[in-house]
Amino acid sequence: MKRLARHLARLYPGPWRARYGREFEALLEETNLTWRDLGDVIAGALRMRLKTWNPSSTPEGENDTMDQQATLLRVIDLKDRDIPHGYELESTIEQTRADGSKTLVRQFFRELDFGGSYLTVNHLSRDSEAAQTFIVSGTKGEVAGDFRTDRTEMLVLHADGTVRRNEQTVKTCMKHEAVREKLRETYRNGLKAGLSPHQVYQKLRLEHRPESEPRA
Amino acid sequence: MSDPALLVLASLAGGDKHGYAMMEDIHRFAGVRLGPGTLYGAITRLEQRGWIRPLKSSDDRRQPYTLSAAGRQYLEEQLSGLSQVVRTGLKRLRHA
Repeated sequence: MKRLARHLARLYPGPWRARYGREFEALLEETNLTWRDLGDVIAGALRMRLKTWNPSSTPEGENDTMDQQATLLRVIDLKDRDIPHGYELESTIEQTRADGSKTLVRQFFRELDFGGSYLTVNHLSRDSEAAQTFIVSGTKGEVAGDFRTDRTEMLVLHADGTVRRNEQTVKTCMKHEAVREKLRETYRNGLKAGLSPHQVYQKLRLEHRPESEPRA
Repeated sequence: MSDPALLVLASLAGGDKHGYAMMEDIHRFAGVRLGPGTLYGAITRLEQRGWIRPLKSSDDRRQPYTLSAAGRQYLEEQLSGLSQVVRTGLKRLRHA
């Protein structure tokens, strides 16, 4: 049962496993698992995949009232730039909950691809909370079907100067990269056509189902 | 109260815990056994919102979490709302 649960845990998105994979596996090892738990692991993985989890996104779940409260997003600014070996994004997004409270999320994201390896930097802040920086370096591995098995190391840099390190073997969906490029192109064309960042965001949300969202 | 995120916050209000300890604690105080996927879905959301944060640990697999000041405030607001509902419901039942 535990071996099956560990196998099912691989259904979670790669970036999520890079962050939570080791502790989640530790929980599975400690828990006296039932068949219902296995279903719960599968459902949890599907929910994360539907949102295509990344450290700045908000996963959704049907039974969580707080999920329904943070669904209204306003893209205040989003800059997208090509740089040598990759691209970077800078965004300011306002989240409004059902009770009217607002959270301002600022993010800087950079991805560099060196052929056999890659590096991402994700710097994120929410309101007055201290910002965190996530750095992922990955070595591309074997490709099987739509997935590539990578070896990654994630560093989480905290505002107090401490660093947390997590090494993982993760599966990356190759389709996401193509979808992400298409989204960036659509976004740029929208801006050229005179739309505001938020209008382009709304257009993208209408045109693309959640499964096809980029992972970063 | 069956909202997984609120249960996690309530568990951490009693002290820092890793995932398995939260699961056991929630089972004891609420009679609800959260599945591993549900528990970590809640942990993910709460950390992203800054309501809980991971603590440094010598064990790199059993990650303990603690309640942040914002998480404590949110929990207090939610619980006082719930307690008003409970008081009103009980009063109406007595008069029914």
